[in-house]
Amino acid sequence: MFEVITPGLETTIQDYPGRIGFWNQGFPPSGPMDSWSFRLGNLLVGNDAGAAGLEAQYIGPTVKFQRDGVIAVTGADMQAKLDGQPLPMWESVAVKAGQTLAMTASKVGARGYIAFAGGIDTPPWLGSRSTFHQAGVGGMEGHALKKGQVIPVAKAKGTPGKKAKPDCRPVISTDKSWTIEVVPGPNDDWIDEAGHKRFLSTDWKLSAKNARTGFRLDGPDWTFTEKATKKAPENGSEPSNIIDQGYPMGAINLSGQTPIILVNDGPSMGGFINPYTVPSATFWKLGQSKPGDIYRFKSVTVDEAQALRKKLNAVCSPSSII
Amino acid sequence: MIYKEPRFLPGGDRYMLIEFGNEMNLELNFMAQGLASAIEKSRNTGVIETAPCFASMLIHYDPDKISFKDLGKEMQTLIDGLGPSDDIELDSRLFYFPTCYLDPWTKACVEDYSAKIKPKKWDPEFVAEINGLKDVQQLVRVHSGTEYWVASLGFWPGLPFMMALDPRCVITAPKYNPARTWTPQGTVGMGGASTAIYPVATPGGYQIFARIPIPIWDTEKRFPQFERSICLFQPGDRVKFVPVSPQEFEFVEAEVKAGTYVYNVVEYQRFSVRNYKNWVKTLNKNDRF
Amino acid sequence: MAEKVETMVPGNVWKVLVNPGDKVSAGDTLFILEVMKTEVPHMAGEGGTVKAVHIKEGQEGVDAGLVAVEIG
Repeated sequence: MFEVITPGLETTIQDYPGRIGFWNQGFPPSGPMDSWSFRLGNLLVGNDAGAAGLEAQYIGPTVKFQRDGVIAVTGADMQAKLDGQPLPMWESVAVKAGQTLAMTASKVGARGYIAFAGGIDTPPWLGSRSTFHQAGVGGMEGHALKKGQVIPVAKAKGTPGKKAKPDCRPVISTDKSWTIEVVPGPNDDWIDEAGHKRFLSTDWKLSAKNARTGFRLDGPDWTFTEKATKKAPENGSEPSNIIDQGYPMGAINLSGQTPIILVNDGPSMGGFINPYTVPSATFWKLGQSKPGDIYRFKSVTVDEAQALRKKLNAVCSPSSII
Repeated sequence: MIYKEPRFLPGGDRYMLIEFGNEMNLELNFMAQGLASAIEKSRNTGVIETAPCFASMLIHYDPDKISFKDLGKEMQTLIDGLGPSDDIELDSRLFYFPTCYLDPWTKACVEDYSAKIKPKKWDPEFVAEINGLKDVQQLVRVHSGTEYWVASLGFWPGLPFMMALDPRCVITAPKYNPARTWTPQGTVGMGGASTAIYPVATPGGYQIFARIPIPIWDTEKRFPQFERSICLFQPGDRVKFVPVSPQEFEFVEAEVKAGTYVYNVVEYQRFSVRNYKNWVKTLNKNDRF
Repeated sequence: MAEKVETMVPGNVWKVLVNPGDKVSAGDTLFILEVMKTEVPHMAGEGGTVKAVHIKEGQEGVDAGLVAVEIG
């Protein structure tokens, strides 16, 4: 339904909640990093919240429509223009065959989303259209969009002029700093009291080495309890080494002394500890941060994290669309 | 140490990590896989998926359907229902893989690392030495002399982590530091006490000394073994590496390319932890092939 | 016509291909950033002479929206 004129930096097809049920074979869920913006976009065009759409990272694509349809642009502002005219965000818009949607670099936020009425209609892989490009699975031929590709979209009506209520949209930080909720565990008892205090009171910097596989953080060293320093040798020689274990999505994985937040395309298991885990409701903040941004972590309980998730799911529903 | 009581640890709002112990012990993996099997049979609607690992299991659950506390209670009930780990029995497929040990491809990879990153002794020589083996030939006899148990899959999709079932064939190997930036596809390597097969050419840190010509990962599903998924393995499979020459390797490689290769899989066996442990009791762990 | 070429993405400076005093034409690649292991070339919009270069090859963690090269 649309042709890729320029692909942007790395634009992929994703659906929500992504590829589920294959964790024990090593498949991460993939899916959109900012599922809040993603789901609202789908609801605006009349899709199910999880239908397949595009995630654009840092620099958005330029596409040309081959038939009439309805789209919505959400997430980071990439200065979307339809045939040269600014296209409103957080709103469903009618597009006509022959029109061109052009997006450029985001000034605030990192990831923009485009939803199409009917949903992108590429063949699903293991139950999902989400792209896991390291393994060449899903999406459009397993990888990010390429120039010249024609992407199929299922036919559906969609109603232009629908808007997402302003107080139902994520507010992307403009001062390069974020409060990131974390739940202690699974391996929080490997870090000593001073280490916990240090983690929660430091302004961690998001390193330039960051991608959908993991977000590397720059900051002070961690200090450990005896669990880390007095253990069977087969755990490994570093304090942060543990016998290989499953990794929760969002885990703050301590690779030596380097914390890496494992995100949507991250590894499913490995031999390092996870002292904290970022809960699902906070993922959109990760998705909209850029290298150089500052993270200040806030400890929450499992119950609090689950309440945040419930709240976000309620917002990502038709009640937010007028 | 095998914990008297398993530990139920939270992973954010949607995950639970169950720790059965903190050592490399097959028994812990049998418990993890036994629990995974019991969860599947129980059709617990709150559990979305499970991923067993060496001594633990990760559960992905739906907080709208079950709370962390209630999930813990249900898991404890299932674990109690498993009984002693000796009672565990699991369906287990056995794969025979033609394997070229001491192959030229991994040798070239190690030489490349030595030249570009850090000088290194050829991995089979290194592993033979630190395990007190006579020479690389004995390494081949010892490594290939046992069935390997697929304890878990991960780090990369389809990448199996396997443990030697025959205690007379247990060897260990430290990981590369720093890691390699590439590994030939199909490489067989060891890190710690586990053996892995690289499904594609990824970076890696295991000691490498053999290679298989058969895909364990096939996005094109060219062989019937990939009908269910593009990964060959599931936890609980077993593998026997059958030493072959480089010529035989290339013959099989050509069959794979032509699509005529037939996987050698034995699919009628049931793995009994009790029988396995009784057999192990009869062995002298210090014997080497 | 003066032109200020800004960085489009936050990332690392992989290559700097011009020096002050160089003459460039519209479309010439001035520098290449790297983010998420992807190269992002930045081109001159118009021709002219490079007046200033504010970034260095190998520089890590530059912000987006930074004036990197000035052309006069």
